[in-house]
Amino acid sequence: MIEIRFHGRGGQGAVVASELLAQAAFLDGKQPQSFPFFGVERRGAPVTAYCRVDDRPVGLRTSITAPDAVVVLDPGLLATEPVADGLKPNGILLVNSPRPPQALIAPAGVRRASVDATRIALAHNLGTPMLPIVNTAVLGALARATGVVSLEGLTRAVGQFVPARPEENRLAARDGYLGVTVLPGDASAPAPPPRARPPPLVLPEGPIASVSSETLHTAAWRTFTPVIHLDRCTKCNFCWKFCPDDAIEFDAKGYPQIRLAYCKGCGICAAECPPKTIEMVAEA
Amino acid sequence: MTAKVLSGNYAQSYAALLARAQVVSAYPITPQTSIVEKIADFVASGELHAQYVKVESEHSALQVVISAAALGARTYTATSSQGLLLMHELLHWASGMRAPIVMGVINRAVAPPWNIGADHTDTMSQRDTGWIQFYAESNQEVLDTVLQAYRLAEHPDVRLPAMVTEDAFYLSHTVEPVDVPDPAVVDRFLPPREPHAVLVPGEATRLGSFTGPEHYVDFRHQIGEAMARVPKVLETVETEFERAVGRSHGGALPTYRIDDADAVLITMGTSTTTARSVVDELRASGRRVGLAKLRLFRPFPDEELRRLARGVDRIGVVDRSYTFGPMGPAATEVSAALYTARHRPEVTSFLAGIGGRDVTPGEVRRMFETLLSGAPATVHWEDLEDEGVTRIHG
Repeated sequence: MIEIRFHGRGGQGAVVASELLAQAAFLDGKQPQSFPFFGVERRGAPVTAYCRVDDRPVGLRTSITAPDAVVVLDPGLLATEPVADGLKPNGILLVNSPRPPQALIAPAGVRRASVDATRIALAHNLGTPMLPIVNTAVLGALARATGVVSLEGLTRAVGQFVPARPEENRLAARDGYLGVTVLPGDASAPAPPPRARPPPLVLPEGPIASVSSETLHTAAWRTFTPVIHLDRCTKCNFCWKFCPDDAIEFDAKGYPQIRLAYCKGCGICAAECPPKTIEMVAEA
Repeated sequence: MTAKVLSGNYAQSYAALLARAQVVSAYPITPQTSIVEKIADFVASGELHAQYVKVESEHSALQVVISAAALGARTYTATSSQGLLLMHELLHWASGMRAPIVMGVINRAVAPPWNIGADHTDTMSQRDTGWIQFYAESNQEVLDTVLQAYRLAEHPDVRLPAMVTEDAFYLSHTVEPVDVPDPAVVDRFLPPREPHAVLVPGEATRLGSFTGPEHYVDFRHQIGEAMARVPKVLETVETEFERAVGRSHGGALPTYRIDDADAVLITMGTSTTTARSVVDELRASGRRVGLAKLRLFRPFPDEELRRLARGVDRIGVVDRSYTFGPMGPAATEVSAALYTARHRPEVTSFLAGIGGRDVTPGEVRRMFETLLSGAPATVHWEDLEDEGVTRIHG
């Protein structure tokens, strides 16, 4: 049995990638299983999906804690999520990144791989620059790096199960397959520095999660930052009205300001702004 | 102390008055009762300084008091049958929010067919919502239990909502003498609520927000632990109530003449009174029978029950509702609690009084005869034209 864990953000297609991998494995004659795990569904929130591929029906219904491969659709998650947790020795860490795999930090023995799936997706007009749909390119890379599915199976699955732009997605899978770089495992690699895990939640005395909502910083979900060009702002307050998280406040002159600790970068303010004065800028 | 001839409904109303409930919500249409009408009179006359909120459904009625409780208020509402069923989702909210609401429930049959007679199906359907459940036997017990329920619900070791139920007609519309304690006496027993972990206007705080699998279980476990502390806390509440008011209702599982009993009948609500008279009658003719009342059904007083069962070989349980397993719901719980007991009596399930039927002395007498005859444990549907007996083992 091969176990693969996907890390992405709501809206990036991690769940669809895991399901598509299962469909492709099934077309290859395997017995797959795929399921996602997420909290309250919101665009930008970290999402995990699990895919198991075996020759026999899968006899487990649990999350994957010791994966053979980890796929990271958003390199920003490397800094905030313990994506490599439990990776098997000689397992694969595959990251969507323009940088070479040498730049990745991984546990000793883990093979590192990277593919510039964002560039591939945009080249095939999949998604938007703000939200490129990278999953088919990443799956192509995964097929090459792990052999868990054949490119043929993946291509057939894309044709059968991807309703939008099947041809472009097929090409993206092919380019991902061709464009992935895999390093052999380095047993002498230094162990990654221990990750600063968030301290465990101390449940309040008594029964209730009476924690201040000021403490729930959701900025880590953001990949694009709204920038307001105040010279064209008409103070119409539409951004404030439509912001789903009350992340917009006003300065003394009545101009809107983004409370970046709470902005998830959803882009609704930019879409709703009548004079289009809000620009979504990709974060480094 | 003033003796008044009150209905069970008005006993609830006077208890809310004495408890100085600060927010009362009411859906004022069927299946609502005169409980909230009387409270509306108290508020209109200025006797009760409460915010009285009329709402468009029972769902909203419970939401109003959950919100008020989350702000630290002492709250009261009342409902019955279909109205309680409509509250179901918010019953879970109330316990999950650890809101110490006290609610009066008139036990009525569930439609269809329409029937407003006494029946416990409505509250039995809410067994697993995290509410403390009391089943009262008399209007005096209704009034006193509402007052005790506030102490219990607001106790730092508990902090859970409580419902005080009473049988339709047999209490709700029955008038009988009730001692209404002086407000000053009740004030000493039941001081104002001391809010804990509540919302404060102007401070950004969340209650009951999203919790993932990593912590949800802790919150459920906390509710379980709080429930487990209820019987102990109830003992101290009863002691203090007796000291202040001069009465006690015997805790979670009050018993009657069970010493040396060959057979004990366990009842809930008003069938207890009739059964007590039958016990006296049978004892007078030399039959060794006794009675126990499931006054507290949630949490289920399993320890008290095991203690009781030590010296008893045959137990009968009278249920005013049915669940679709082998027995009535209380009989199922009694059996489960006794399964691990060192001395395990036979348990017979009697289904009686369903949909407002009388539970008559003759019926209770037959139940005791069945138990004393040593017949194998069975399920007996009383009131049916044919025999209505199902063997479950033997």
